Amino acid sequence: MLARIAHELYWLGRNLARAEFTARAVEAVFQAELQGAGEAAPGVSFGSGGLVAMLGSVQEERSAHNAQTLVSLTLDAAHPGSMLASVERAREGARTVRDVISAEMWEAVNTTTLSLRSGEQGTRHTTSGPYAASQYVKQRTALIWGVANRSMLRDEAKCFLDAGELIEVSDMVLRMLRIALGPAEAQGTQADGHALILLQAVGGFHAYLRAVTSPPNAHPVARFLIFERAYPDSVAACVDSLHEAFSMADAGPRNSKPVLRVSRLAADLDFQRRALPEGAELSGICERTQQELARIDQDVAERYFAGAAPAGQWR
Amino acid sequence: MSTDVPTVADALASAPTDVATAPAGIDYHPSPSHFDELFAPDGSPRPGARALIEELRRLGPDGLIEAGRRRDAVFVQQGITFETSAADGGGSAVGGGPGGPAGTGTTAGPTKERPFPLDLVPRVLTGEEWRAIKRGLAQRIRALNHFVDDVYHAREIVREGLVPWRLVVGCSHFARAVHGIRPPGGVYTHVAGCDLVRHSDGTWKVIEDNVRIPSGISYMLENRAAMARLVPELFGSYRVRRVDHYPQLLLRALRAVAPSAESEATVVVWTPGPANSAYFEHAFLARQMGVELVEASDLVVRDDVLYMRTTRGLERVHAVYRRIDDDFADPLEFRHDSLLGVPGLVRAYRAGSVAVANAFGTGVADDKAVYRFVPDMIRFYLREEPILENVTTYLLSDPEVRAEVIGRLDELVVKPTDESGGRGVTIGAHATDQELARIRLLVEAHPERWIAQETVDLSTVPTVGPDGALHPRHVDLRPFAVFGERIDIVPGGLTRVALREGSMIVNSSRGGGSKDTWVLEDGADSERAGAGGFPVADTQPPALPDLRYGEWTGQQQQQQQGQGQGLIEPQRPGGTPAQPGHGDRGAG
Repeated sequence: MLARIAHELYWLGRNLARAEFTARAVEAVFQAELQGAGEAAPGVSFGSGGLVAMLGSVQEERSAHNAQTLVSLTLDAAHPGSMLASVERAREGARTVRDVISAEMWEAVNTTTLSLRSGEQGTRHTTSGPYAASQYVKQRTALIWGVANRSMLRDEAKCFLDAGELIEVSDMVLRMLRIALGPAEAQGTQADGHALILLQAVGGFHAYLRAVTSPPNAHPVARFLIFERAYPDSVAACVDSLHEAFSMADAGPRNSKPVLRVSRLAADLDFQRRALPEGAELSGICERTQQELARIDQDVAERYFAGAAPAGQWR
Repeated sequence: MSTDVPTVADALASAPTDVATAPAGIDYHPSPSHFDELFAPDGSPRPGARALIEELRRLGPDGLIEAGRRRDAVFVQQGITFETSAADGGGSAVGGGPGGPAGTGTTAGPTKERPFPLDLVPRVLTGEEWRAIKRGLAQRIRALNHFVDDVYHAREIVREGLVPWRLVVGCSHFARAVHGIRPPGGVYTHVAGCDLVRHSDGTWKVIEDNVRIPSGISYMLENRAAMARLVPELFGSYRVRRVDHYPQLLLRALRAVAPSAESEATVVVWTPGPANSAYFEHAFLARQMGVELVEASDLVVRDDVLYMRTTRGLERVHAVYRRIDDDFADPLEFRHDSLLGVPGLVRAYRAGSVAVANAFGTGVADDKAVYRFVPDMIRFYLREEPILENVTTYLLSDPEVRAEVIGRLDELVVKPTDESGGRGVTIGAHATDQELARIRLLVEAHPERWIAQETVDLSTVPTVGPDGALHPRHVDLRPFAVFGERIDIVPGGLTRVALREGSMIVNSSRGGGSKDTWVLEDGADSERAGAGGFPVADTQPPALPDLRYGEWTGQQQQQQQGQGQGLIEPQRPGGTPAQPGHGDRGAG
């Protein structure tokens, strides 16, 4: 398939995943900050400041972490980290590849963007916080992925779409973990605070409760989000699926740099899951994994998209 | 983005949708004869409520009506509804009280699903008020637990002559089958919910103890979640204590009492089935705790051990949180015609191989006639003075007392001893002559089945009417306690409100609604609101310069973080290339 198309599909997947995770994180942080800190000991800190850092905002004034920030992270198209901006980028991408994705999928992406833009469905009703908009984005991304899975051929195109999603999801989870775990582990304090907000920000609360018996404290939650293969949004599960997607898309997977790299990362995560003692520090692993993912992203660009549009081009 | 720190109110007010532009004054008149939780008698807001009233004023009647519409839509979507049945009180969700209709399994009459009636004006308790309530409740629950233990063992309180044995043994929830059984940790009342009311002089009184199957906790948690979504602006200047850790507290308590030596205890929630009116709550708790929701057909007892049937064969169960009445739990020991029970469960319980919460036979402690003796229990078992008062209660089996009560039926409240959920209660002051005559006959026929209580003036809280205006409506409060290794009480509780003017019946099956209950963190009042704006999380996140939109700043990051932050290892490959980022699609 055309390198350009593969490139667009890959970024369509990334943008959709980012919109969804931004929605979840904004909603979770907003809800959490409305109420008191609770009886839990500190250990996980993930507030609006952390959210801004996670989305890599260019905003410099770290003092202005508040509702205003959160609202703008939701629906300000001019803010590149906002949910709406991700959705708009996804729509642009989908438009370019309208012939490759199914008509239904294009419609689903398009409707989502248009109604978010116009504020239908009460999505502009920010007087009540980001709830309505986040809810809408979560539902629509689920619908878009559902349509894609039912209507698209499982070919190279789907592989690149999925690969974009997977790499973005694991990157988002890792960012969140680094911000939430970082300070506690750096100070050597026991990271035993309730990590409910982290799970809510990823949407893995119920999965966690069913999979792990220990209460949702920082450490078991972080382990779950990194290593639990049965949970589809965990880093390990994403990396596994990423390997599958690239092996299928690649013409010569045995000599392909990205495939080999992903395969090594998957094995490494599996090894660490078994070898790491209980309570071992995790933020180092998060950081190294994230850097490895960035390298994979680069290899992907070199191997598959090299013939595509010149780098750094923005529409 | 501006450099000054805008408050949440600013942010929300500047949002596109227009809220009431000119803050219309609130036309609210607290009732002179009752305690109002948000307003002082002169009509000015109480200190803790000032910022809340200000936000309500800003929202205005139209804003409240609009939020109410969204609330109903969200509740119906999420299935947070309860059924009202044509039969009297058949389908109470919250008002179910202990047991409620649990165990019957079916609901009589045609039912209708309504969105759960949550009122958008919260009730506010200061940290200080809450601490007193919490201490009082813990004391009371400890005493009730002692009492249950005593009743099924030494009966010291009876021998001391404080509680008549006739009363205990005649109680319909007295369970002979569990005589002499002491559950692990000596805990019987794992989950308790006492109903509190506030008298016109501002003092708190306990009106009822629920130590069988108190329900309503799921509504309390859902209320908070809904409030935070629908009217986040109301939270703007407060630090409200969280309640969402309740399922974890419950799970911890259940694990703590489970007789499991080697492995992590298996806990289940036992529901009578989807036809039960509180099924929503059963499923909610099971989901929130991450445990199985079982029905009787899933459970089986083999050799005095309880198992559940799984796809991998029988799996041992260590603790059961049961939401079914004693009567229906085990056909071999209680009602033999029960189809909802597990034969042999009491045998397993007696053998100590399974913990049951709440324990069998706890119903003796929340009998309405036994209620009268709770202050005596506190003095007897704990050697303390009761912190929370009882409502003056008359036992009608004494002929003299009965005669006096019958003379004053029109000023008293008459209740059946073994009912719950407000069923069968007659409020003298609101009853017709016919009703009074009827109750008099009933009392005279079976005096031991009835008690009489002095009327309590329930406090009021402003409540949104259909027109969006605020009116005083009567409320009670049901806090929820969990007793495992220790007693934990989630801050606040379920505030039930009578939606009809002047009515004191707060049961949801009879037209009651509910409110979110806020317990404020200390120092979190309107003064703080003026000073700080939106409360910022105490712990600031670390600056992670590499996580920046667009590209990673490799070198810089390495230098900054290398300075003893401990985030990265020194042997990291040097000169990390500008990595394609998060976002910058072309950087690679």
